[in-house]
Amino acid sequence: MSLTKAATTALRTLPRQPAIRSPAAALVNQQRNVSDASTSHSDFKSPFHRGTTPNHQDTTVIPSFGKYKNGTETGNKMFQYFMVGAFGGLSAMGAKNTVQDFLKNMSASADVLAMAKVEVDLASIPEGKNVIIKWRGKPVFIRHRTSDEIKEAEDFDWKQLRDPQPDEDRVQKPEWLIMLGVCTHLGCVPIGEAGDYGGWFCPCHGSHYDISGRVRKGPAPLNLEVPAYDFPEDGALVIG
Amino acid sequence: MAGVLGGIYNSIVKRNAVFLTTIFAGAFATNIIFNIGADSVWDQINKGRQWKDIKQRYMGDQEEEDE
Amino acid sequence: MLARSSLRAARSARSISSPTVTSDAQRNASSQSSSESAAAWKSNGLLASSTLLAVGSVSWYYYQFGRPTQAMTPAEEGLHAPVHPWEHTKLYKTFDHSALRRGFQVYREVCSACHSLQRLPYRKFVGSFMTVDEAKALAEESEYDTDPNDEGEVEKRPGKLSDYMLAPYKNDEAARAANNGALPPDLSLITKARHGGCDYIFALLTGYPEEPPAGAVVQSGLNFNPYFPGTGIGMARALYDGLVEYEDGTSATTSQMAKDVVEFLNWAAEPEMDDRKRMGWKVMAVTSVLFGLSVWVKRYKWSNVKTRRLAYQPPPPNAQKQPGSVFRR
Repeated sequence: MSLTKAATTALRTLPRQPAIRSPAAALVNQQRNVSDASTSHSDFKSPFHRGTTPNHQDTTVIPSFGKYKNGTETGNKMFQYFMVGAFGGLSAMGAKNTVQDFLKNMSASADVLAMAKVEVDLASIPEGKNVIIKWRGKPVFIRHRTSDEIKEAEDFDWKQLRDPQPDEDRVQKPEWLIMLGVCTHLGCVPIGEAGDYGGWFCPCHGSHYDISGRVRKGPAPLNLEVPAYDFPEDGALVIG
Repeated sequence: MAGVLGGIYNSIVKRNAVFLTTIFAGAFATNIIFNIGADSVWDQINKGRQWKDIKQRYMGDQEEEDE
Repeated sequence: MLARSSLRAARSARSISSPTVTSDAQRNASSQSSSESAAAWKSNGLLASSTLLAVGSVSWYYYQFGRPTQAMTPAEEGLHAPVHPWEHTKLYKTFDHSALRRGFQVYREVCSACHSLQRLPYRKFVGSFMTVDEAKALAEESEYDTDPNDEGEVEKRPGKLSDYMLAPYKNDEAARAANNGALPPDLSLITKARHGGCDYIFALLTGYPEEPPAGAVVQSGLNFNPYFPGTGIGMARALYDGLVEYEDGTSATTSQMAKDVVEFLNWAAEPEMDDRKRMGWKVMAVTSVLFGLSVWVKRYKWSNVKTRRLAYQPPPPNAQKQPGSVFRR
């Protein structure tokens, strides 16, 4: 109790704004409680009035508040702006961190991130073979292409395709073709080493993909998607 | 003293756009400095208890890794 | 502030009411006659009896339905665990991560024979008390089912960092069958799940007496532990001096192992504690400064309003009021 009282008095005396209340005014206040309000006007002397007689007074006088002032004008002004600015700045900091934390909640959680990468041993995949692995619930095609297939994929005139893309944009190493095994038409899983172009064939609606995974025939609008992957060392592949 | 304050007043506070920009820039700077300071105090209080203080013992001959 | 304003209100109320109250009382006293005293006694008696009825019915209701009920006697509840000054539960302390490493070693070599820790993935160990390679090696010691392959067969593969710890038994029924019908609880959240938390588990682990006290009834297949509710526990004493060999040279006494494994289990239940406490201190520091500033800004903004004075000065009695003239002072 005494602590809060001391704190409130300390806070009260801290800013010390120019107060107009004078001892005389306080006296008037007390008297007003006991006597009728209409008779108290003679006790109150407004600082804005110079005249002595009630009927002849000058309202243009600005009284001196000098004895209520302390500090220089610039100093006081800077202190006030600093306090208000610091208040706003700290609030902005808190708001920024709050918003940031909420946005962080929308990103992938730690258990999803832990599953997001898949390591594949490439040494076990012979040349000219397909391997399908699961990554984030989706199949991923990994094809070890032969030199003939690489040549065929690179030499093809890709500018006439529905989704024009050169082969070098789709692979990091030409012998390894890695892409999501989801047909871009309606999401079926295409069959490997099938179709009219020696690549993949979607059994659902008959889209044909070539040996670079580009759509050549059928309803699919886009080429098979290439996920983010990396070769950290020879014979090892990390998808994700 | 008054000259310095007056200079700050005229250069920063007088134009509201400059004042607001200063406040937000100051907020970001405070955020970074406060985080660094608070974390270092925290690490000082908990010296030897956290994993980053003891992991050198178990890293041993392995090469330095990022966690 | 509030106290002061209420005092003020009370004072003004008294100053207003006191003259009237006394005058009323005097008037009542003077006008009261002896014939009316019987009626006053009657109303007083009515008041007293209705108060008695109200208090009596409330206390009767409380006696019937309001008292706390205990299902068990204090003996059946088990001895209350003594409170220890855990270093890691202090508001400004993190877990001691070398103790976590020792505690995990105790769990692995002793507790994991019966108790699972199924909500912890191996990746959580990395950066807490294990290096990446140690955690990977640990994960590869267990075997997990693969996704069904092209033929629909499920194969086995070594564990990865993203896998969760395997339970010692296939399911709860197998665990019960192997433990005399008692199910060893999963330890992932055990410090949160038991009254007393760390203190209870520590007391349980170290509280097995050499032999049950005289007069205590211990069913066959159960062990006596005064801290366990009902005192008969399926788990036998598990920790003995020197049971494990700590790699950092700490002497493995029973209480040291119990303390380490309790701290590890607390970490398993609250792995976010270190970050939570660090963040909490930051938030408290910033918000307390912000509170002080907001008090100052409030007073600053209100100072004009609070120091304003409105004074009404009526025109002097001899002033002539004329239509259309403005009285200026």
